Amino acid sequence: MIHLLVSVKQVPDTTNIRIDPETGSMIRKGVPAILNPYDAHAVASAAEWKRKLGGKITVITMGPPAAEEALQECIEMGADRGILISDRAFAGSDTLATSYVLAEAIRKIHEEDPIDMIFFGKQAIDGDTAQVGPGAAIRLGMPLITYAVDIQEINKEEGFALIERKTESGREIIKTTLPAVLTTEKSIAEIPYAALPDLIYSLKYKPENWSAEEPLMYDINQIGLNGSPTMVAKSGSPEAHEPAETISVEEEGIAGVVENTLNKMLSNISVASLWEELK
Amino acid sequence: MTRRFWVFIEQNKGQMHPVASELLGVANCLVSEIADELEKTGEEAVVEGILVGHQVEDLAQEAIQFGAERVYTVDDPAFEHYLNRPYTDALIYLIEKYKPEVFLIGATTLGRDLAGAVATSVKTGLTADCTKLEMGPFRKIEKKLLLATRPAFGGNVIATIVCKDHLPQMATVRPRVFESPPRDLKAKGKVIQEDFKVTPEMLAANLVEFITDENAGVNLEYATVIVSGGKGLGNPDGFKLIKELADELGGVVGSSRAAVDGGWIDYAHQVGQTGKHVRPKLYIAAGISGAIQHKVGMQDSDYILAINSDPKAPIFEVATLGVVGDLYEVIPEMIQQLRARKGAQV
Amino acid sequence: MKTEKLEFDVIVVGAGMAGSTAAAIAAREGLKVAVIERGQKPGAKNYFGGALYTHALVDIYPDFFDRQPPLERPVTETGFWFLSNDGVVKATVQGGLVDNDPVDAFVALRSEFDLWWSEQAAAEGAFIIPKTLVTDFLFEDGRVNGVKTDRPQGDLYAPVVIICEGVNNLLTQKLGLIDHDVKINATALAVKQLISLPAKDINARLGLPDSNHGMAISVMGDVSMGLSGLGFLYTANSALSLGVGVTLDALQESGLKPYELLQRYLEHPVIAPLIKDGQMMEYGAHLIPEGGWTTMPRLYTDGVLVAGDAASMVNALHWEGTNMAITAGKQAGLAAVEAHKKGDFSAKTLSVYQDRLSELFVLKDLKQYRKMSAFLKNHPNFMDIYPTFLNDALGMFFTGFGKPKGDLYKKIFRSLTSRRPLLKAVGDLVALGRAVIGI
Repeated sequence: MIHLLVSVKQVPDTTNIRIDPETGSMIRKGVPAILNPYDAHAVASAAEWKRKLGGKITVITMGPPAAEEALQECIEMGADRGILISDRAFAGSDTLATSYVLAEAIRKIHEEDPIDMIFFGKQAIDGDTAQVGPGAAIRLGMPLITYAVDIQEINKEEGFALIERKTESGREIIKTTLPAVLTTEKSIAEIPYAALPDLIYSLKYKPENWSAEEPLMYDINQIGLNGSPTMVAKSGSPEAHEPAETISVEEEGIAGVVENTLNKMLSNISVASLWEELK
Repeated sequence: MTRRFWVFIEQNKGQMHPVASELLGVANCLVSEIADELEKTGEEAVVEGILVGHQVEDLAQEAIQFGAERVYTVDDPAFEHYLNRPYTDALIYLIEKYKPEVFLIGATTLGRDLAGAVATSVKTGLTADCTKLEMGPFRKIEKKLLLATRPAFGGNVIATIVCKDHLPQMATVRPRVFESPPRDLKAKGKVIQEDFKVTPEMLAANLVEFITDENAGVNLEYATVIVSGGKGLGNPDGFKLIKELADELGGVVGSSRAAVDGGWIDYAHQVGQTGKHVRPKLYIAAGISGAIQHKVGMQDSDYILAINSDPKAPIFEVATLGVVGDLYEVIPEMIQQLRARKGAQV
Repeated sequence: MKTEKLEFDVIVVGAGMAGSTAAAIAAREGLKVAVIERGQKPGAKNYFGGALYTHALVDIYPDFFDRQPPLERPVTETGFWFLSNDGVVKATVQGGLVDNDPVDAFVALRSEFDLWWSEQAAAEGAFIIPKTLVTDFLFEDGRVNGVKTDRPQGDLYAPVVIICEGVNNLLTQKLGLIDHDVKINATALAVKQLISLPAKDINARLGLPDSNHGMAISVMGDVSMGLSGLGFLYTANSALSLGVGVTLDALQESGLKPYELLQRYLEHPVIAPLIKDGQMMEYGAHLIPEGGWTTMPRLYTDGVLVAGDAASMVNALHWEGTNMAITAGKQAGLAAVEAHKKGDFSAKTLSVYQDRLSELFVLKDLKQYRKMSAFLKNHPNFMDIYPTFLNDALGMFFTGFGKPKGDLYKKIFRSLTSRRPLLKAVGDLVALGRAVIGI
C-alpha cells in the first residue's frame, strides 16, 4: 500500500491567450482555466501505480478558490484526497515562496501519513519556470529527479524506485531512495478516460481547505510578496514585427512562385553564403 | 569588494556545452554595463566560471578562452556524471564562500534541474529562460540590478524581473539565445581547485544506467539551416517531404509544438519557447501557423521563409518572405528547382 | 471503484436550452434527475447568433431577472437589412411596440448563458454530468429503461429518458423515431464571428443611444450569394456577432465554403466599416435544423420524450428555436412528472407532451410554417433579385432629383421586370403570403 502525493496547479490555457492592445494586460475573459497539462499526466501516472500496488493519492494545490475545479479533475482520475491551499496572504508569491508553501504542506501531510513519492508536473504552462518542484525537493531534503518519463519500479519494502529520466543526449535510469520527488514529462502516463462512477464521485467531492494559518501556521515572511525575492519590474506585449512580403501561388502559379522565392532567398547574403557551400 | 559575475560551465563527457561560452559573453557584457559604478567606488568586477566534474582542467582553460578571468573547479570522480544533490551542494558551498552577485546557468535539462534547487537552498531569486539580460537601475536603489527579461504565458507577455534584496541574482538562459563570443586562444586566467567532498547521503539518488538516444543527433540549436513542419502538414507523413527539402539544403528538420504534441515527431525537433531556440541562417516554416511561442524560438533566424495556405497566418508577421500556397505543391517544386540549379553549376 | 447501479427518476440527454429546462422542471417537483452532457461544460457545444426570448425564460423562472442572468444587450431595434452587392435597404423597427419593459428579446452568448441555465437547474436539484456522451439505450421488455454512455461502467437507469441531444439527433434516429439522418436540404450550416469593439463605437456606428440598447438584424440578399440562406447581426455588450447560414445542399452544389461566405459578408462595403479595428474574439459554426414540421421525428414513445433541436423545433424565419426548446423542455419535464405520479411511462401516458405542445406556439407555428423552407428553396429570388431590386428602386428614387419622375418610375419598373417578369413577381409575393400563412 503506497501513499502518493501530487502537487498540481490550475493555469490559464495559454494557447488561447490574447493581450488587450490598449492596456497591455492579458484578457482573462473567455480564457478557460485548466489543470496544468504536465500535472494532469503526473496524476495519471500516480493513478496507474495506485492501481498496480494499491494505496492512495493525495493531491494538493496552492491557488484561488477556483482551483477547486483542478482538484476535482484529479479526483476524477483517481485521487482520493484533495487539499486546496488558499489564502489572500499567498498572493504575489514567486517560485521561492510557492515552494515554501507547498513544502510545508507536504511536510505536514507526511508527518501524519508517510508519503512514498511526490509528483510535480515538469513545469506550469503559464510561468514555464520549472522551479517549484526542485525547490520543494530541496526544502524537504528529498532526492529530486526531473524530466521523468517513466517509472520502472516502486519498491516500498526495500525503499527504492527506478526512474527513467530524459536528457538532451539520452536517457538515464536513476535509482533513488524513497521518498523522492519527481517532476514529470507528459509521456509518463496517458490521461485515462474515467469510469462514470469515478466522474460522479469527483463531481460530488468537496476538497479540504487550508489557509495561511490553519491547519498549519505559515511564516508570513516567507509567503506572498514578503517571501518573494523576485518581482516583476515591468511587463508588456512582445514587439510587433513588420509583416512579410508575400507572394501567392494563386497569382503566379507554382513554378513561377518557387522561382521567385528562390531568387529572393538566394539574393540574401546569409543564404547566399550557405548556397555557395552547398553547391 | 569584488563583484563576482558567475557562469556555470556545464560539461558532459569532457565537452563544454556551448551555452556556457554564450553566457560568458553575456557576463562580460553585464560587467561592462556597471563600469560607471566601478569607477566611482573603486571596486573590481570579475567574470568567473564554475566548473564541476571530473578531470576538467582542459575545460577550465576553454572557459578562460571564452572570457572567464577565473575558474573555480570542483573535481572528483563522484562528479563524473551529473546528479542533482552533489552538484547542488557543491554550488551552495561555493556561493556561501564567495558570495557572487550574479549567477547565470544555461537552461538545459541539467541547468533547469540544478538552478531551482540551488536558488531555493540559498533563498534567492531565480528567473528562468531569459531572453535579455542587462544591469540597470531599479527604483531608488544605488547599485544597478540584473534586469532579467523573459516571455511568460506562452510568449504572450514579456516580463522583466528583478531580485532586489537577495544574492546571488540568478538567471537561466536557453542555448542559442545569445551568440558565443569569439574564442581567444591566448587568453590567460586563474584556475582554482576547490576542496569539496561528496558524502554518502548526497547519493540517495544515483545513476544506474545511461542509454544514448537516436534523437540525440538532432542538433537543432546549432544548425545553419532548419526546415520545420507543423499541423498544416495534415499528417505525420508530411515530415518525409520536410526531410527531403532539409536534406537538399543540408539542414535539420524542426517542428512546431502542435506537431510534437500530436505525436507526429519527437520533442527533440521542437522549435519554440518550450522547445529549442534556434538562430540558423535559413529557417523555412511549412504548414506552421506561427503561434507566439513558436515565433519566440526562431525569430532570430537570418532569413525566414514561411509557406502556408492561409494568407492571414501569424507566421507571415515574422517571416522575411511568405509564400501563400499549398506546401505539398510548393515544396516538391522547390526541391526540383534547387536540384536543377545545383545541376546547372556542375 | 463504486459498483452500485446508477438509478434516477429521469435522465435528460443534453444540457442545452431544452435539457436544462426539462431537468429543472422535473427536479423542482422532487424527482431525481441526471443530465448527461457531452461537452466539457454545458454550453460548450452550443452556438447561435443570437437572441433569447424573455417570455420563455420568465416562464421557467418568474424571478429570472432578479437572478442576474448573463445577458448581453436588450434588443431595442430589430428588423431586416436587404443587401445588394454594394448597398443596403434597412427596414427596422424600434420604439413603439418594441419598447417593452422588460424587452422581448436579449442578445446572449451561449457558452456563458447555457452554463448559467444549467446551474439554475442544478439549484433545483438536478445532477449535471458533463464530459460524457450517451451512446445508446438500455431496454427492458422492449422498453427504454436507461442509457449507455461512452465511459467504463457507464450505464444509467431511469424509467423515462428525455432526449435533448441537439440537431445531430443520432439517438433519436437510433430509436427509430425518425427514419433518416439530417437532411442536407433541411439543415443549414451557420458560421459566425464575434468581433470585439468598444461599446461606444458600437453605439456610434449603429446609432444606438447607449449600451442599454441593442440590435438583432436578419440580413437578406447578397450575404448568401444567391443561395438559400440568411445573414445576421447581433449586438453584444462590447462585441458584434455577425454570421451567415446556408443550407448544406446549397453549399454542396455551389462549391462555396462557409468561411468564404462569411468573409465576403464581413468585407461588404456596408458591413466592413461597422467592424473596423475590431478584434475577432470567437469564430465558430453550428448546424441549424430548418426542416421544422417536415423533418420532425415522433416526439415520444414508451419511456422516451424528444425536445428541442433534436425534435426539429426551429422556426427559421422567425429565429425561434431556443424558446421552442425551453417550452418543449418544460412540457417534457411536466410529462415525466405526471408519468411518475401515475407510475406509468408508456407512450400513451407520455402523449400528453405532444398534446400540450400542439396547443402552444411550438407545434402550431411549426405546422403553419411547414412550407417555408421549401418555399425559400424554390424561390431563390427572395435571396438575390428582390433585395437587389429594392436597393436599385429606392436608390434610383432618392437620386432622381431633377429628373422627370415619369421616366424615373418607368426605369424602376423596368429594373424589376428585366430581372423578373411582372406576373411572376406577383406570383412570388402571393406564394410568400401562402407559405407564411401555411396554406
